[in-house]
Amino acid sequence: MEALPWWGLPLIFALLEGALCSCVGTVLLTQRRILQANLIANGVLPGLAIAVALQLDPAIGGWVSGLAAALVSERLIRSHQQQQEAVQNTVLAGALAIGVLLLALLQQRVELEALLFGDLLIAGGRDLLQTLLAAAAALALVGTQYQRLGFSGVDPDGAEAAGVPIHRLRTLLAVVTTLVIVSAISAVGIILVIALLCAPAVVGLNQASSLSGAMVRASAIGSSCSLGGFGLALLLDLPPGPVIGLLCLLLLWLPKPDQSMN
Amino acid sequence: MTSNSSAIALEAKAVSHRFGSQAVLDSINLSLRQGELTALIGPNGAGKSTLLHVLQGLLKPSQGDVFVGDTPVTSCRHRIALMPQRGRIDWSFPITALDMVRLRKPKTAGGCFEVSAEEALERVGLLERAKERLGRLSGGQQQRVLLAGAIAQNAATMLLDEPCSALDPPSRERVIALLQSLAQEGRSICLTSHDWGPALMGYDRVIVLERQILFDGSPEDVGEQLKDLMSAAKRGPN
Repeated sequence: MEALPWWGLPLIFALLEGALCSCVGTVLLTQRRILQANLIANGVLPGLAIAVALQLDPAIGGWVSGLAAALVSERLIRSHQQQQEAVQNTVLAGALAIGVLLLALLQQRVELEALLFGDLLIAGGRDLLQTLLAAAAALALVGTQYQRLGFSGVDPDGAEAAGVPIHRLRTLLAVVTTLVIVSAISAVGIILVIALLCAPAVVGLNQASSLSGAMVRASAIGSSCSLGGFGLALLLDLPPGPVIGLLCLLLLWLPKPDQSMN
Repeated sequence: MTSNSSAIALEAKAVSHRFGSQAVLDSINLSLRQGELTALIGPNGAGKSTLLHVLQGLLKPSQGDVFVGDTPVTSCRHRIALMPQRGRIDWSFPITALDMVRLRKPKTAGGCFEVSAEEALERVGLLERAKERLGRLSGGQQQRVLLAGAIAQNAATMLLDEPCSALDPPSRERVIALLQSLAQEGRSICLTSHDWGPALMGYDRVIVLERQILFDGSPEDVGEQLKDLMSAAKRGPN
């Protein structure tokens, strides 16, 4: 690590996060779970507040509370099946409210701007390790559950009828999503991570005729966005997270390729 | 056409189901026989799709049970293929027609009706479009891909939710002919439909459902009973 120039580690981190978020985002999008990812991103705040107060690793606190928010929402959705999105939005708002209240009650100072929008330039070896751990979990999920993810994405009733354990699959996906989001907080923050999860996946899906193809394309697009955003931020002396988020937004204006190219 | 002596493939005993306070199915007793093509007809909201979900074991009924032989259906769901309504499918999902059919193919070979994914696509006339992305097929072709998936599942019983809903009349005729041949091979097939009048003649048996089973018999008998019912409704109460 010490042999790297000062921008080396943030650059590697940006490339990895761009690929990882976009790859997992493709799975989330095809499973219609993007709103849950947003919920998890906001649900990390209470855990961060408690971890900071107890002088624990904030990442562990964030991971536990993000996952807890996802599981609470899954549980509530089962008893309010027709109002799934309303339940998820309410849990999202509730988790954020609990986080803000905890910060006030525990009298903790958390740099909110860094939490919301991240700061790639201060990324360290620990952040890289978290990202590698999240990437390993994502690879394990996709590697072992690829067929089931495809089936439950395209035909959820058929998958359930064929015995695919939909609820277990969703819980596993929530675990991996939480790991990915927590690992991305230092790079792009809990707000902009949603842009990296969504935009490259939308573009990648436009061009693919298989889930794996879409994941590879989205990862390449996500890495390019992160790399481009990082470079532009250095060039223009701007914070990298928001520039990456802006590039993700611009992706949606790209013309759709002719699908006959597939 | 089959006789009533054919072996029973699936049996519902006193099945009732409610969604909250609303009764959707009421005391359904029904046997599906091997080699029989059955149409389940009725108005929107009559409980047709719910009944298929209960018969497949996807939905646990509020009362009653469904059996395959002496075994509860929940223990042998793999022997029953369920083709969902097209509205339940994500047609923008990145998958080819062939891979879509392969999803439903059991991992282990076996069953009475071993058919490969390619053979299933060939039977519905779509083998030449096997590598096409699902979203690029027409509505009728997508419907036939779903049917190919149900065929590839190698199941003895096939429950099809509106398999002809997106089909033009010639395509519908071809699909009904295919279903007749699948039934003649020994499968038990039950489909929901909005068919009426002469269109019912392509089936071996017609069941009219409106929360309860109103009529159950040959297309000719059920057609006559429906005519009588409609005449009585036109005359109004005396």
